[in-house]
Amino acid sequence: MKIAIPVYGNTVSNVFDFAHRIMLVDVENGREINRCEVDVGNRSLPQRAGQLKTMGVNVLICGAISQLLSAMVTASGIEVLPYVTGNIENVLDAYLAGQLIRQEFSMPGFRPGLRRGLGRRQGCRWRGGLR
Amino acid sequence: MKNAEQNVILDSISEGVFTVDLDWRITSFNRAAEEITGISRKEATGKYCREVLRADVCETGCTLSETMQTGKPIMNKAVQIINAQGKRRAIAISTALFKDSKGKIIGGVETFRDMSMVEQLRKEIKGRYTYEDMISQSHKMQNLFAILPNVAESNTTILIEGQSGTGKELFARAIHNLSFRKDNPFIAVNCSALPDTLLESELFGYKAGAFTDAKKDKPGRFALAQGGTIFLDEIGDISASVQVKLLRVLQDKTYEPVGGVSPVKADVRIITATNKKLEQLVKESIFRDDLYYRINVMKLELPPLKDRKEDIPLLIEHFISRFNRLHNKNICCVTNEVTAALLAYDFPGNIRELENIIEHCFVLCEGEIIEIKHLPSSVCSLLKTEMVQDAAPATIKQMEILLIQQALKRSKGNKTAAAKQLGIDKSTLFRKMKSFDISESE
Repeated sequence: MKIAIPVYGNTVSNVFDFAHRIMLVDVENGREINRCEVDVGNRSLPQRAGQLKTMGVNVLICGAISQLLSAMVTASGIEVLPYVTGNIENVLDAYLAGQLIRQEFSMPGFRPGLRRGLGRRQGCRWRGGLR
Repeated sequence: MKNAEQNVILDSISEGVFTVDLDWRITSFNRAAEEITGISRKEATGKYCREVLRADVCETGCTLSETMQTGKPIMNKAVQIINAQGKRRAIAISTALFKDSKGKIIGGVETFRDMSMVEQLRKEIKGRYTYEDMISQSHKMQNLFAILPNVAESNTTILIEGQSGTGKELFARAIHNLSFRKDNPFIAVNCSALPDTLLESELFGYKAGAFTDAKKDKPGRFALAQGGTIFLDEIGDISASVQVKLLRVLQDKTYEPVGGVSPVKADVRIITATNKKLEQLVKESIFRDDLYYRINVMKLELPPLKDRKEDIPLLIEHFISRFNRLHNKNICCVTNEVTAALLAYDFPGNIRELENIIEHCFVLCEGEIIEIKHLPSSVCSLLKTEMVQDAAPATIKQMEILLIQQALKRSKGNKTAAAKQLGIDKSTLFRKMKSFDISESE
């Protein structure tokens, strides 16, 4: 499974629409096996969605994301876990442990209802870690 | 001044205001800031300002940081933010230092104004629409958006097919505005609006003396679009003679103005559109096959509104917001019955028809909610024959049953087609049919 996290320094970037760098993490059996960073610079929204698809990303963990970009990403079959904040390592560990739901990883203003229109994923597995 | 008094003053200001401490954590947040960002004061206070404002400059050129470093205020910088609802908004921000009574810097102050309305009006006036202005969550449209940047960069000729009112021109403008030609003109020509003889001189221009009253040279649309994009709408309606001339432009990138003797070079990208099936016209020998193959390098098909019904609530919201601005009204929404009626309607005129229906409602609606009585008779008559025999399906469940039954009826029991019309997955339709005990024959 490949996870993409837009990054700013060692934290999750605030807004995927405006992020400049994305960290790609390959995970197998609940363990990280590889990671790298790619530049997305000033790419347009469709290009960002297209790039994630091209890179074979399965899950996007990000901060805020516009409804439009979220719809584009989910239309590519990628799961979107939006409104996540915090240190990259902590966020990744929490995701792998199924603990991303914790309040400390939620951006201000995040309510579970905001998932409406922001991704296909529904129900109790929301932010719930590994498949 | 006490905190409570300060808050009252800050809340009475129509501009968003927040202050941060030296660690960039928000210390105060007024009511207008809550409205613009969609984040409450309680949630914002104590959080990093970049997590709350979510602006495009936060990570690349923070204005507040610049002010803190230089001590100089920044005025009215235009930025984009993503609010709590995931919507992009244009705002103008100003920053200043925040000092205590002894003049010691204790943080920064940022004020911001919502510029969405101004931005929208500017777009409408200048026609600088992008794909972001095309309201859609449908998969078909999302797939088109995904290839749009590549299409725009390619500089090839494009054929857009779609029924009248599906947004062909808006799509063409979006392609132009994404391309390297965006700073040059976008010229739209409706080929069926002009008689054949006029169309030729309109497209290619004419020379003085070409015909009676041609006293001086007149540049054509191709000349006006030089360096940019020309959008030829209703291309299926052009005559055989204009087809030949267009073929030459596509083949040689040159054309001759009416009455001209030397060819003129055309550096223009051509985007064509039609609501007809050009392939059929070629088979019937009405449209030249060589021209068809030239313009059909890249074909994009825009789905009719009836095939993307999931977009109807979004479009209703969009048009309400637009007409509120244009008519200076404050209508907030439509009733569930209106949504259900519009979802059940087939929209032969597509999005343009939906826009006209909402505008019709705006004229008649004096309150804040659009009701069924405000709908035009064409939609109401359908309602009378097709739905709501029982005056008011009071619950969402009743509404869902009604909509599913109608969709099944329209699709003659075909569940895949019915699910498509309803904008839901086939498995969701099966589940709902089972739980509401609806049979296929209904």
